[in-house]
Amino acid sequence: MINFLLVIFVISMLYAATTSRMEANVKVLSIQGVLFFLMVLPNFSHIPFSDFLFLCTETLVVKTILIPLILMYIIRKNKAYREVEPYIPGFYSMVITAVLFVFGFIMAYYAGRVSHDVKPLYFGISMSVIMTGLFIIMSRKKIITHIMGYMFMENGIFLLSLSVAREMPLIVNLGILLDIFVGVFILVVFYNKLRSAFESEKMNIDKLDYLKD
Amino acid sequence: MLNGINIIPLLFLLPAGLCILLILFRSRVLNAVSLLLYPVVYLAGTVKLYLYPEAGSPYFQSDPLNLFFMFVLGIVFFTVTLYHIRYLRHSKALIMRQTVHVILFLLFVVCMTGVLLSQHLGLLWVFVEATTLISAPLISYEKSKSSLEATWKYIFICSIGISLAFVGIILLTLSGGPNNSLFFSDLYRNASLFSLFWLKLSLPFILIGFGTKMGLAPVHAWLPDAHSEAPSPVSAMLSGTLLNTALFAILKINKIMQLAGLGTYSHVLFLLMGFMSIFVSAVFILRTNNYKRMLAYSSIENMGIITIAMALGGAGAFAGFLHIAAHSFSKVLLFLTAGNILHQYNTKEVSRVEGILRQDKMTGWLWIMGFIFIAGFPPGPGFISEILMVKSFLNMKYIVLMALFVLLLTFIIFGLARTIFKMSFGQGPVRPAGKKYAVLEYLPQIILIIVLAVIGIFMPDIIYRLIQGALGCI
Repeated sequence: MINFLLVIFVISMLYAATTSRMEANVKVLSIQGVLFFLMVLPNFSHIPFSDFLFLCTETLVVKTILIPLILMYIIRKNKAYREVEPYIPGFYSMVITAVLFVFGFIMAYYAGRVSHDVKPLYFGISMSVIMTGLFIIMSRKKIITHIMGYMFMENGIFLLSLSVAREMPLIVNLGILLDIFVGVFILVVFYNKLRSAFESEKMNIDKLDYLKD
Repeated sequence: MLNGINIIPLLFLLPAGLCILLILFRSRVLNAVSLLLYPVVYLAGTVKLYLYPEAGSPYFQSDPLNLFFMFVLGIVFFTVTLYHIRYLRHSKALIMRQTVHVILFLLFVVCMTGVLLSQHLGLLWVFVEATTLISAPLISYEKSKSSLEATWKYIFICSIGISLAFVGIILLTLSGGPNNSLFFSDLYRNASLFSLFWLKLSLPFILIGFGTKMGLAPVHAWLPDAHSEAPSPVSAMLSGTLLNTALFAILKINKIMQLAGLGTYSHVLFLLMGFMSIFVSAVFILRTNNYKRMLAYSSIENMGIITIAMALGGAGAFAGFLHIAAHSFSKVLLFLTAGNILHQYNTKEVSRVEGILRQDKMTGWLWIMGFIFIAGFPPGPGFISEILMVKSFLNMKYIVLMALFVLLLTFIIFGLARTIFKMSFGQGPVRPAGKKYAVLEYLPQIILIIVLAVIGIFMPDIIYRLIQGALGCI
C-alpha cells in the first residue's frame, strides 16, 4: 500500500517537473498533501495521539489546503498561468528528473545495505524529490515557480522525516511547521511587493539584475 | 535587584512585553526607549549569567560557549541601537512603519538569542530559520527596487539553505540509531556510537545549510546584496551578529563530528570552504565599486578566516574566537561609519566619494580606524588572531596553505586600503557651513574603537577566560 502511494508520489513529481502550467503544479502540491496524509494514517497506533493529531493537521490542513490556496490566489491575482520559456525544455526536464530518480534509487540501495534504521524506498525517493525541487528552482524563470520548487523541496524533506522511525518533540515540530508556513507567507508577500515595484505582471528572475558586481 | 530574577526567561519575555507596548502606543519616544532598554538589560543579563550561572530549562541553558557569543551580540547590539535611534529620527517613514521596524529589530535579537541558548538541535534550527524570516523585512526598510531584490534573494536563498541544513539534521538523527534524542547533551554523550555513514553524509548538508546563512563561499550569493541594500544599522547587525550565530550552529554540530571520530573529515571541509570564501572575497573586493558591498565581501573573508581557524584547532581555535570578536566589532564600526558616509554623500559608489576628511573629519578618521582594525594591524585584536593563526599553520606544517592564506589576505588588505584611502583623502566637497552632526553618529563607533583597543593592547583577563571557557565547549 505504502509503496503504491510512493509510486504515485514519484509520478506526480515527474509531472510537476515537466509541466509549464502553474495551476497544475499547485494541484500536484495539494495531491502530495493527501498522499502524505494517507502515508501517515497507518502510524495511528504507533505514535502518541498529540503527534498524530499534529501530523494530520500538517498534512491535511497546511499542505493540502492552506499553502495551495495561497499559491492559487497569487497565480489568479497575477494572471500568471504559464511558465515562460524555461531554460531547459520540458522533454529534457523529464529526462533529467528521471535520472535524478534513478540516482535516488541507487542511493536507497546503498542506504538499505548500510543501515537498518531507514526505510530505503522512502529515503531514495525523498532524496530525489529534494533534488528535483532544486532542479525546478534552477531551471525555471518565473518567481512563482521558484516558490513552488521550494515547496516541492519541503515535501521531499517531509518524506525524509517520515523515513526516520522517530519523531521530534512536539514543540520542535510546531516550530518547524510555523517556520515553513510563515516562510511561504512572507515569500508571497514579497512576491507581491516585487511585482508592484518592478511594475511587471509576469515577474521573472531576468528582471532581478540590479545587484551585481 | 537582579538577584531574584531568572535571566533566560527575561531575555525572551522583556522584548515580547516591549513589542506589545510599542504596538499599543506607537510613539517615537517609546521606540527609542525600548531600543535602549533591551540591549542594556541584555548586557547586564549576560554578565549576570556569566557570574552566577542559572539552571534554566532543558531547552534553554547558558554555557561558556554561548555566553561568549552573547557578549559579542550584546556589545554589538548596544552600539548599533545607539546609532539606530538617530537613524530612525531622520527616517521619513510613517510612525507605524517605524514601530514595526523596531519590533522586528527586537525580535531579530530574540531569535538569535534563541539560537545561542537552545540545547536542542531541532529548536536551534527553528530559531535559525526564524532569524531569516524576521530580518527579511528589516532589509527592505527603504522600499527601493534594489532593496526588494536583495530581500528576495536573501529570504529565498537562505530558506533553501536552511532546508538543506534540516536534511542534514534528519540524516544526523538517522546516524544516532533507535534511541537518541536531539538534545546536544545526549548527542555528545552518544556520539562515539553513531553510524559514520550517516554522519559523513549529514555534514556536507549542514555545512552548506548553515554555511549559506554564515556567508561561506560558494553559497554566499545573498550576502553582498543584502548587506549593501539594508539600512546601515541593519547591515551592521547582519554582519556583526547574524553570521556569528550561524557559525555557532556549525560549531555545535562540529563537536559531534569530533567526538564521533570524524575530526579530520570536518577539518578538510572547513579548510576547503574557508579558503574558497577568502578567495572569492579577494577577487570581488578588488572589483567592486560599492563600498558597502566591499564591506560585505570583507565579512565573507572574515567568516572564511574564522572557519579556517576553527579547523586548525588548539591555538588556532583561540585565534578564531578572538577573531570573531575582532571582526564583529570592527565590521560594525565600518558599517555604521558607512552609514554616515551614505548620509552625507547620498551614494554608495566609491568613484563618487572623495575627501571625507575634508567634509567631515570625524567620519573620515573613523573610516580609517575601521580599516586599521579590520585589516588586522596593531593595535587591533585582529593582529593577534592572525599572527596566532599563521603560527598554528606553521605548527601543523601547512606551509603551502599558510603562504596562500597570507597572499590572499594581502590582496584583500590592498583592495580595502585602495578604496578606503581613496575615499578618505582628496578634494571633496567642503562641509556646508552650519550643518551639525549628531553625537550619536560618532559615539557608537568610538565605544567600539575603545573596546577593540582594550582587547588588542591589554588583552584583559576576562576576555582570556571567556575564550578559554568557550574553547572548552567545542
